[in-house]
Amino acid sequence: MSCLPLLILLAPALGAIAIAAVGSTRHALVRRISVLATGLSLIGALWAVATYDAPTGGYQHEVLVPWIRSLGIGFHLGVDGISVVLVLLHALCAFTGVLISYAIKDRVKEYYLFYLLLITGVFGVFLSLDLFFFYFFYEMAVIPMYPLIGIWGSDVKEHGVVRFSKEYATMKLTIYLTLGAAVALIGLLWLYVSSGAGTFDIPRLQQHFVTSPLGMPLQRAIFPLLFIGFGIIAPMWPLHSWSPIGHAAAPSAVSMLHAGVLMKLGSYAIIRIALSLLPEGAQMWLPWVAAICVMNIIYGGFVAMAQKDLKLTIGYSSSSHMGYVLLGIACLTPLALDGAVLLMFAHGLMTALAFALVGHVYDQTHTRYLPDLGGLAHQLPFIATCGVIAAMASSGLPGFANFVAELLVFLGGWDRYPAAIVCGVFGVVITAVYMLRLVRGTFFGPRKPVFTHVQDTRTLFARLPYVILVSALLFVGCWPQPLLRLIDASSRPLVERIRPSVALAKPTPERTLRRLPPPRPHPAPSGRQGHP
Amino acid sequence: MTIPLPWLSVELFACAWILVLLAADLLLPEARKASLWLWTLAGLGICAILLAGQAIAGGHHLIQQMFLVDPFSRFFKALFLGTAAVVVVMTRPFGRHLAGRLGAFYLLLFTAVLGMLVLASVHDLLMLFLGLELLTFSLYIMAAYLRTEARSIEAGMKYLILGSLSSGFLVYGMALLYGFAGSTHFEAIRHAFEVGPVPPIAVAGLLLVMAGLGFKIAAVPFHLWVPDVYEGAPTPVVALLSVGSKTAGVVALTRLLFGAAPTMAGLWTNVLAGLSAATMLYGNLGAIPQTNIKRLLGYSSIGHAGYLLMGLSAGSQSGVEAVSFYLVAYFVSNLAVFLAVTWAGEQLGSDELEQYNGLSKRSPFLAAALFIGFLSLAGVPPLAGFVGKLFVMLRAVESGRLWLVAIGAVNVAISLYYYLMVIKRMYLDAPPTSTTFRLDRLATVTLSLLLLGVLWLGIVQEPLVRQILVSVRP
Repeated sequence: MSCLPLLILLAPALGAIAIAAVGSTRHALVRRISVLATGLSLIGALWAVATYDAPTGGYQHEVLVPWIRSLGIGFHLGVDGISVVLVLLHALCAFTGVLISYAIKDRVKEYYLFYLLLITGVFGVFLSLDLFFFYFFYEMAVIPMYPLIGIWGSDVKEHGVVRFSKEYATMKLTIYLTLGAAVALIGLLWLYVSSGAGTFDIPRLQQHFVTSPLGMPLQRAIFPLLFIGFGIIAPMWPLHSWSPIGHAAAPSAVSMLHAGVLMKLGSYAIIRIALSLLPEGAQMWLPWVAAICVMNIIYGGFVAMAQKDLKLTIGYSSSSHMGYVLLGIACLTPLALDGAVLLMFAHGLMTALAFALVGHVYDQTHTRYLPDLGGLAHQLPFIATCGVIAAMASSGLPGFANFVAELLVFLGGWDRYPAAIVCGVFGVVITAVYMLRLVRGTFFGPRKPVFTHVQDTRTLFARLPYVILVSALLFVGCWPQPLLRLIDASSRPLVERIRPSVALAKPTPERTLRRLPPPRPHPAPSGRQGHP
Repeated sequence: MTIPLPWLSVELFACAWILVLLAADLLLPEARKASLWLWTLAGLGICAILLAGQAIAGGHHLIQQMFLVDPFSRFFKALFLGTAAVVVVMTRPFGRHLAGRLGAFYLLLFTAVLGMLVLASVHDLLMLFLGLELLTFSLYIMAAYLRTEARSIEAGMKYLILGSLSSGFLVYGMALLYGFAGSTHFEAIRHAFEVGPVPPIAVAGLLLVMAGLGFKIAAVPFHLWVPDVYEGAPTPVVALLSVGSKTAGVVALTRLLFGAAPTMAGLWTNVLAGLSAATMLYGNLGAIPQTNIKRLLGYSSIGHAGYLLMGLSAGSQSGVEAVSFYLVAYFVSNLAVFLAVTWAGEQLGSDELEQYNGLSKRSPFLAAALFIGFLSLAGVPPLAGFVGKLFVMLRAVESGRLWLVAIGAVNVAISLYYYLMVIKRMYLDAPPTSTTFRLDRLATVTLSLLLLGVLWLGIVQEPLVRQILVSVRP
């Protein structure tokens, strides 16, 4: 029993309750409560990362309270090497998001209430080791998006004409995600019933499937339900269309969480549930997934190139970049899976940074339309610097975490799907094109007289979120080993369990290269071999 | 024959209290009749105490085995008493519409409660008919209670005509079942079904009785009365219809199917599954274009009937458990919504959705209550409705009907759409006027308790699940 996950999860939840009790005019107090709540979560997340024992691996910091005994539902929290990294990502995005939200002046109390509920839901998903609570928090994370975008969002305009209203965007987002969740729910319930184990507990289901694996036809049937259901939020082509519009309409701090973390829920759910509980179904379907990923990368990239709204560009680029994450998962090699998880982390920070910047630009200039902007580096030196950094990180320049992650995906996937990897590398070029175009169009060029009133972030406090995000990106980019060690401790056993042949393969160069400890003998392969 | 007083105490007291209310209505001076709601609440409270006194395990058959008092009936009797109590609270703001005839209104409310209490204990076709008619007749009158409003009269008429038709089905089906089994008793009918052979006429009888009960539950294709009656009837009556009457119908259906025809499960589970799919789709799709909140809630209540039937169509005890949880969740969520709608209707002067624009600025508490209530009805965690839907779907998966679960899951998204459209009006749109209003203390406390229940059941399910496990044991 450890109280660490409880701290991380309950701090924002209690913060939301406290805010509900505070008077609606006390904006400063509401903001302070939010900073305190997410700050506590961030400290908890850092502590969890620091204390996670990678050589031991497995689930750590566990909390288990039986919840509904007759159905085998337990309030089971815990982290493994993959989720602990994502918890850290979310804590960083949440904390910086709360700081960025200081720009919100209207209905502050309600805003932070929904924002903290959203944060709680996402933490819950990353921490849950029980299918019931996983789904519980997953849905709980989706719903606050509706008021957050609907009330505090902005319409997407082109030449001053509304292209998508925020009402349309938020409804589309909510309905898409709820439908996805519903599809996934069918898969989860089917999985629960057909397992015969009578438990929603993920580790116990894993163990159960070692001794009595689910039949192949069932795995084949359930896997697509889970994959499509969770893939919608990932967002997987061709079900991604809710996502860029949702990003564009959302207030910037919500876009930060949305693109930074919420989209990662999908890929995380696929790793945590679909891969680990349905290994054979995964093996059968993943080649198709790889093909879809290529579409994600290339199609998303080209559409991003054609956009003129800053947020839409970054929104489509996110859907393009999540293609790399899904591709890394589809490759099913330890290296590529490590890369996929690290890319979730890196892309989350990068995109949060990008949305924060665009938010500031929009607040100051009241436009996000690329042809209207230009020359802002004169007025916004700090923001422009961060913008260039975000563009470089996004294009995968060495020195940033994105480079390491994408490289791992490419290296790890080369043996499996060389064609897809080639397309992926081509996608990096596309990213460079639209990101550079975006930076040039926004920040460079002659000084425009309409923007003379535009102000940069001046106080250290206002710059803090940008500084946190940039330094995290650089730190992990230059020294990825601490995080990779954690991720690898969980992704390697997972891949070895799904494809036992990998475990028996010759010692790979990457293992010696990265001085990894020898893989922990996992019960899964031996158990399956022992089973007649 | 001796009357076993302890086991019948609740029903007998309810009968007595009806007379007390009648006398009070006649004898109290006009000025003090406003206190009648307290008399009604007191009656319900004493009923609840008597119910709590029947701490019994196992079943007790009474009145020549026509009446079954067991934990299952006790569980739902408690729910009915709670529903009636909240309806009484709702009549407070609504009272001025009923003025002058308030005494009779509470009297009818109590006869409806008596009907529901009887329905929870039915173990005989005659008792089923008695309870159902007692409930329905009270509701006919109550639906048409606003004599000066054409819509209310229309609602009462529609309900009466379609209700009589369904009673016809019911009686005809009962006659056929009696002809088949030679008795109206559930045990005898079950025995006859078990021994067989089962002639088609008996199957027709069973289906006709199910149709009659389907009317109470508002399942497609017996739902035609719902939108108009919901729109026209007084809002507290609609709440009683939507929560009390529907629950009573589900309970009676459960009693009938599991008590009298368990061997026919192969037939009725499939019938219920088909009805469930049609009901969910019709209710939720029909709710989308509505512009009146009561009509919208009418269609949504049809949608919920579909989920209830889905749970019953599992044909298992665990399915009934899931339905029981769903009913409790529906009870807290829907009553919270109706209490809020009653108040909003009074303050806004209309039940049209347009009036709800910008409600969050005019009455934040009311808007928040509707927000939570609607999301719970849609099935969003961490609220009660989510758990109810999850349980029901889980049991349907267990019974192997994945197609039905798929329809149910899609309907969650559909229902979320129209609930969110109302929430959008309340939170996103600009209010027509900036006048604000507040609820009185009684309504605030009741609504807060209901919302607390919605949250509590969404997060801590174990106590209720355990209570249900004890109650539903056959």
